[in-house]
Amino acid sequence: MVAKNMTGPAFFVLTALADGPRHGYGIVGEVADLSQGRVKLKIGSLYGVLDRLAAEGLIEPDHEEAHDGRLRRYYRLTRDGRSALAEEAELRAATARVVRTRLGLAGEAAG
Amino acid sequence: MSGDLDLEQRYRRVLRVLPVYYRAQWEEDMVGAFLDGWLTGDPDEDSVTMEYDRPTWPEVASVIGLAARLYLGGLGTPRRYFAWGQAVRRAVLVMALVHAVVGLDALVLLDWNRRVISWLPAAPASLGAATPNGVVPATVWYLVDFAWVMLFVALALGYYRAARVIGVLAIVPNLIYLLQGQFTGLLPSPPLGPWAFWILINLAPVLAMAAFHRDAPPTARWPWLLALPAGYLLVEVPYLAVVATGNAAWLPDNSGFFCLLVSLACLAHAPRALSRTRRAAESGVWSLTLMLVAAVAGAYRIASLSDYRHDPHLIKVSLVELLILLVTVALVTPDAARTQAAAPAPPYPHLG
Repeated sequence: MVAKNMTGPAFFVLTALADGPRHGYGIVGEVADLSQGRVKLKIGSLYGVLDRLAAEGLIEPDHEEAHDGRLRRYYRLTRDGRSALAEEAELRAATARVVRTRLGLAGEAAG
Repeated sequence: MSGDLDLEQRYRRVLRVLPVYYRAQWEEDMVGAFLDGWLTGDPDEDSVTMEYDRPTWPEVASVIGLAARLYLGGLGTPRRYFAWGQAVRRAVLVMALVHAVVGLDALVLLDWNRRVISWLPAAPASLGAATPNGVVPATVWYLVDFAWVMLFVALALGYYRAARVIGVLAIVPNLIYLLQGQFTGLLPSPPLGPWAFWILINLAPVLAMAAFHRDAPPTARWPWLLALPAGYLLVEVPYLAVVATGNAAWLPDNSGFFCLLVSLACLAHAPRALSRTRRAAESGVWSLTLMLVAAVAGAYRIASLSDYRHDPHLIKVSLVELLILLVTVALVTPDAARTQAAAPAPPYPHLG
């Protein structure tokens, strides 16, 4: 199952959860790292994305952990989330291959 | 302590703008994530942070943006918010349609007066194309007319971002005209009517385009696109015919005409709204839409009463228009109230 028109922030959030569960602020940091600082999610935006992804069944709560007297909730990808991310990644990679070919850069990465 | 609140409480106060159902699910998480961005693990430093720091403006703006998206609900949101979201989206389309019909009319009259179609007889003198005097050139006013037509078509076709940009550009000339009039005495005193027109009829629908967000269901494009020529033929052409035949004195002013149009729409919808056998959801969202548009029309009518403060007859006519609006909108109000529990909230769309 693929979420219709996956946005950039949703793609980065799913990617941040691809190698294991993370809590809200952990996702913000991971997205910033993954995007080399280009995507800085605000908390309001992050929870808009998390709410939508949870409603679409692409992520789910994993566990809660006590931290400084508060409970941190961790999220993980569901099976649908994993396949949606894989399909989106393939789509983006295919697009990138076309761009590289058209720019005459196709052989440079391998070389 | 500043205001007797610590940083956690300040964040909770900001989060109160979110709907209750959403806070029940996400508030603890969001507060934790906000605080994680501040706290370092050093007890002394964290104590100072908790006491003196405040949510930043970008953080507050992101929460307000989230609240707007949730209250003007789209697919997957609770029924009540979905109904409000749909009603606001339709109200914006109705307002854009009114602008588009007026804009189309201005462009048709311009072409007719300039004999663009040579075999047409000359336009009657009473249908002369006129634009407001002031610093804004006539060409810009015609571009504004064209912009409203384009904005409406863009909304109907789902190009929401383009519609927002066109909307902002379309309302600027009128603002410049008002500001110029305000400082040069061109506007009537007090200038409530012209400013109410700009705020309620220009600015409000452009701001309310925020309801066309990513989760909004697609607009039913053909019914809305067909509404433009239908609106022109059924409303504007008869209006022009009355003006062309020298009977313009029988026509109400703009705000009165708007009130009467909304009243007619309420009357046309009333049988569905009052029927017990109707499918509640669709009818109710339309009732809510009509209530919103009626609120705009009524507010504009009240604000523009000041234009007639020296003419008791026109004040009476305006009050009758307002009364007709109130009576007709009362016919659909119970249905609008019921819809918040009845409107369905379709699930998020999926492919495959």
